[in-house]
Amino acid sequence: MTYFFYICTFVLLLIFQTTVMPYFPLFDRFYDLLAPFVIYLGLFRSVRESIPIIIIFGFIMDNLSGGPLGLYLTTYLWLFASVRWVITILRVRDNVLLPFVVAAGVLLENIIFMGAITMFESGSRFSQADFSTVAVQVLWALVTGPIFLIFFKYLHQRWDKWSGEILGSPTS
Amino acid sequence: MIPKKMVVIIGVIVLIAANIIALSVTSRRHASFGSGRIALSFAAPFQKAVTRSIRFARGLWKHYFLTVSVAQESYKYKKALGLAQQQNNQLRELKLTNVRLRNLLDFQKTMTNQVLAAEAIGKDPSQWYKTIIIDKGKDEGVAKGMAVVVPEGIVGQVMDVSAHNSKVLLIIDPNSAVDALIQRTRARGVIKGGSSGRCLFKYVLRKHDVGVGERVVSSGMDGVFPKGLAVGRVAGVIRRSSGIFQEVTVTPFVDFEKLEEVLVVLSPPKH
Repeated sequence: MTYFFYICTFVLLLIFQTTVMPYFPLFDRFYDLLAPFVIYLGLFRSVRESIPIIIIFGFIMDNLSGGPLGLYLTTYLWLFASVRWVITILRVRDNVLLPFVVAAGVLLENIIFMGAITMFESGSRFSQADFSTVAVQVLWALVTGPIFLIFFKYLHQRWDKWSGEILGSPTS
Repeated sequence: MIPKKMVVIIGVIVLIAANIIALSVTSRRHASFGSGRIALSFAAPFQKAVTRSIRFARGLWKHYFLTVSVAQESYKYKKALGLAQQQNNQLRELKLTNVRLRNLLDFQKTMTNQVLAAEAIGKDPSQWYKTIIIDKGKDEGVAKGMAVVVPEGIVGQVMDVSAHNSKVLLIIDPNSAVDALIQRTRARGVIKGGSSGRCLFKYVLRKHDVGVGERVVSSGMDGVFPKGLAVGRVAGVIRRSSGIFQEVTVTPFVDFEKLEEVLVVLSPPKH
């Protein structure tokens, strides 16, 4: 049931990101909505549960994007690994640090993408507008990132409770 | 002696006559002798109060129902207005769609190649890569490498196909390449995706004369895009003192943020 929740959330985020958001100029430079989801998995869920989900979602994203195959997959796995590492040294589950975790995650994702573009596309150069896009994304992440994390957590708890009632036993 | 009965009769007649005379006198003069004012002063305030109360109650009653009916009417009108606005928006949207499709149809007629109309249904999830998803795929005859165009110019190239959907690499993506030439001077080069929605016109020799504002069209030499399709307009030229090429920036004619319907060129261009 938990995996079903992940799939529903992923589909919703994906549709919102690729179909709904382009209609709103305000979200022109919004960050990847899957990034806070991966961060949520890293912060609050187990490695065994998260890894298959990240692999599947990363693979789907790779197939929808024009980037090299595996770029999203690598990015998400690195993002997940970074979050798992950070929680061993910092108490980032506190709400105070959440904005910075999401912002750092979005920054990391952009750095990986920029690195990939630099490496795989000959003669590629980054303009002022590209750096400005990264800055705007990080700012968006600072402001809205924790809301997503709290929302995912709340929704997941509700889902677990609801599925537990339906199936008559608590779900993992 | 006059009988008593007769006295009573005469008295009554006199009283009636006196009464008639008095009435006829008062009816001509309208005199009140001050009593009228007193009576009026006494009764008028009550009359006034009662009259006003009645009128107030009647007014309240009338206004209440009027207000209710007005409110109902207002609600009805608001609903009607909302519906009308909604219909108006739909009609406006239909009109715009109609104009777009008409342009597309006109353009389709001018194309010598066989084309297929498709709708853009999704955008690349990444900010760094520029692709769109269209609602036509293998089953409709779309294949990898086919050109995608709109009346304004070249959109891109099909890079991935599923049964009913395809992924189109836009010409503003860094991975895209279109063989093109300056329409006036026929200077040849390759259009590649740049930053901020612009393209770079690469490998244009320094000896060629390229001016800002000139039209760039497809050369048809890449085997993907038909010859003569509009690509964009030259936005900037940098000719360095060294090197054999010049740096040319091109602003595409297509507004990629507003792409809704596109045409997939099904048959390859004829050389």
